[in-house]
Amino acid sequence: MAEFDAELDARGLNCPLPILRAKKAINELNAGQILKIIATDPGSVKDFEAFCKQTGNDLMSSEETGGEFVFSIKKG
Amino acid sequence: MTKRLKATERRATILAVAKVLFADKGYHGVSVDQIASRLGVSPAILYQHFVSKEALFEAVLTDIAGRRESYVDAVVQEPHDFASVLIRMARIYVNSVARDPDYLIMEMHSVLEGSTVAKQFFENRWKSFSDYIEFSLAELNKDGKVNAVNPKAASLMFQGMLREALYAKCIYKSEQYRDFDLENLIHHLIVLFLNAIGYQEKPAQLKKTA
Repeated sequence: MAEFDAELDARGLNCPLPILRAKKAINELNAGQILKIIATDPGSVKDFEAFCKQTGNDLMSSEETGGEFVFSIKKG
Repeated sequence: MTKRLKATERRATILAVAKVLFADKGYHGVSVDQIASRLGVSPAILYQHFVSKEALFEAVLTDIAGRRESYVDAVVQEPHDFASVLIRMARIYVNSVARDPDYLIMEMHSVLEGSTVAKQFFENRWKSFSDYIEFSLAELNKDGKVNAVNPKAASLMFQGMLREALYAKCIYKSEQYRDFDLENLIHHLIVLFLNAIGYQEKPAQLKKTA
């Protein structure tokens, strides 16, 4: 996992709440900064792909480890 | 159904046909012979894919419970106040269910049959609403934007409203509500919900018809 500037713990939450919280967290970052998100909702994988595509942010990585999904998003 | 169908396609076809029959007659009202007959195959073919009727029923439920709407559009679009996002989420969900109301019937069957899958319907389908409403209301309450309501009770109220409206319009097709189209009915219910929780902001999406 690359370095990150902010972290969001969305474990135990169903989408869209992780997306909503990520959107707010990204709003507080500067362009180029990275948000790390940890989620447990399997639907979050497709949702974060769609979210980044629609919002112009860069989904740098999307990994699953032990039932947890870790995303890093660079603000576009 | 021909022998040329791939195993995954055959399995999907069996699930689709079984869903329609189970939704119509319930678990006990349908036999494996009837499902096989509707598919135009022998019961032996069915048993190649599912060891028992119970296994087939559980597979149908798991398939339906595992599907989930994407609410990314609801979150990305503006305006993004609590009510506007909730309205867009409700529209996405209602439109999805209205296209396939058997889902609601199978959810009811899963509860009546005491299926282990029943919990998945909540985990996969309704938890999106309960999480969003509960967390948002807790934050809005801190900012004085809603009354001091219990977020869990409010969330249950919202889910109940949505479910009942879908039953009335898509399952019972109740005469009593025939003058309401589904979208209009949902709109009125959401206005009632927002009033009940004392939501202070006027969501832009409701101004037109409220």
